[in-house]
Amino acid sequence: MSEIERVTDEPCAPRVVFIGLASCFGCQINITNIEKHLLQVLGQIELGYWQLTSSEPMPDAFDVAVIEGAVTTEEAAETVRRARERAGCVIAIGACAATGGIPGMAAPDITGCAAAVYGDAVPEACGVLRAPAPVSALVDVDFTVSCCPVDPFEFVRVLDAALYGSNRLAPTSVLCGQCAQGEGGCLYKRGQMCLGLVTRSGCGAKCPTLGRACNGCAGLSPDANVGAARAFAASRGHDPARFDEALRMFNTVALVAAGEGE
Amino acid sequence: MLYRVIDRADVPSLVAAFMERYEVVAPVRRGEKYVFEAVSDFDEIALDYPTTIASPKKYFLPATETLFAFDARENAVTDYVDEVRPRVLFGVHACDINGIMNLNSVFNDPRYPDPYYRAHEDATLIVGVSCTPTDTCFCHLMDSEEARPGYDLFLNAIGDRYLVSIGSVTAANILESACDVREATDADRAAFRAATRARQRAFNPAIPDVQEIPMLMDAFHEDAFWDELGGRCLSCNACASVCPTCYCFDIRDTLDPGAETGRRERVWDACTSPQFAMVAGGHNFRATPAARVRHRMYHKLNGFLATHDRSLCVGCGRCAAACKVDISPIAVLEFFERKGADDGE
Repeated sequence: MSEIERVTDEPCAPRVVFIGLASCFGCQINITNIEKHLLQVLGQIELGYWQLTSSEPMPDAFDVAVIEGAVTTEEAAETVRRARERAGCVIAIGACAATGGIPGMAAPDITGCAAAVYGDAVPEACGVLRAPAPVSALVDVDFTVSCCPVDPFEFVRVLDAALYGSNRLAPTSVLCGQCAQGEGGCLYKRGQMCLGLVTRSGCGAKCPTLGRACNGCAGLSPDANVGAARAFAASRGHDPARFDEALRMFNTVALVAAGEGE
Repeated sequence: MLYRVIDRADVPSLVAAFMERYEVVAPVRRGEKYVFEAVSDFDEIALDYPTTIASPKKYFLPATETLFAFDARENAVTDYVDEVRPRVLFGVHACDINGIMNLNSVFNDPRYPDPYYRAHEDATLIVGVSCTPTDTCFCHLMDSEEARPGYDLFLNAIGDRYLVSIGSVTAANILESACDVREATDADRAAFRAATRARQRAFNPAIPDVQEIPMLMDAFHEDAFWDELGGRCLSCNACASVCPTCYCFDIRDTLDPGAETGRRERVWDACTSPQFAMVAGGHNFRATPAARVRHRMYHKLNGFLATHDRSLCVGCGRCAAACKVDISPIAVLEFFERKGADDGE
């Protein structure tokens, strides 16, 4: 994906819309945490739609669609498909949009989960439920900003990549290497079970650096070696069932797709 | 080479003398392990450290280094960033000095000298210190047990004294000014010999010496052993992160939030990274972990020899400590030791 193709000949800023699906909206809120840089970023785009700032409905024409949240209803699936048709570029932000995230935990049994919460009748306001899925399960995604929540500066870098092009590649190596660069010592040596063994790097290993085990929010790397990681964790006294359970928090959809799920 | 003797008690004043003009980086304790970092007082230094998590390579080739700043509107370089500070690496083991020598021969290659690396190198003094091998040390098998050139001072511990090998005039002057410097006596030389023998006896005898390893690697290039190693590789690059001689990097541009200015940066990369050998069009010519692990081991134990006449691996053992699934040159040495035994039967 390189530069955005203009729909008109009129020189204008790229039109960006923010679409919120099943999520806590925390990633969108976190974008505002770039604080003094926020106006610099907004100055480069024409913000066409953002529920957090305006009640105006989504316009028909736009260049970039930024999507937070998992697809959990048929209505959301339609929104995503329509956004893909209209936008030159789709950016998925946050674990829910990138991996199915927390809503994705319900993917293997959406009917059972809905019944557990709502009983016999799912309220109409919920829409037509479907198995939660990442945005990429429905449409092609040009860029992904991983993690729960997103690093707002990483969001800006990815938005820049969408607007101007970039020579960065999203890494698929797993987190331990980045963690080792920080020389904080491995959390397994302190008895903690850490999912950095299989989680996509790129986040800077912020959590392990602060002494908190990785929970996999950046997503299972497509090059992860889950079997070897599970065996290593087991060798350090962590029950493989617990390892898998921890991994399901953000990666149920990927595990099911890889035949590793329930 | 000049040799002099100082008392152990003189080392704090030597460090203090360096601190007057340099940033002093030394091994310090962090949790259960040790790391190289800047110190402001001699008491922070753990000079008898076994090894550090990562190597001092980071002071020559930082994990992220800005090469220049640019103006994206003008498409022009605005600033050549040259953040180099005069620095003393204090307390470097022989393996790491040899590792730095290997990096020097790569980055000072006259065909494409690297000005960024060179600036760090020129601004850095190295004070080595003798050591006792850990369980994963095998520098003696990689011809790196001894630092010959590559240091400004090298402190060989001999009881309550150090036999100091002097490698540069700059460091010699500082040594002279800070310490009570004496000529080495026959007793000092005998003590040095005894200390060296004691170190030589302390290496882990379970790590096999396979002298013909480069040839064996060529002969068993297609062996199933590599699939076995690749089958358990996590693709994490921890080995490269801690390695004193992994020098591969990627170059990328980072725009500032306003997208009007930015920086060109180089960041560490590694041949164990799944996308390392991916080329334009998406083809990956080392698409499997087995191919990547094998490539890494070949470069460390075989390929570098052909061009630089020494093995790239210096036997520091850090990768063996960092790897969660027991992939390291030690595993390769053990495999070929078994292979030799099998064939003899």
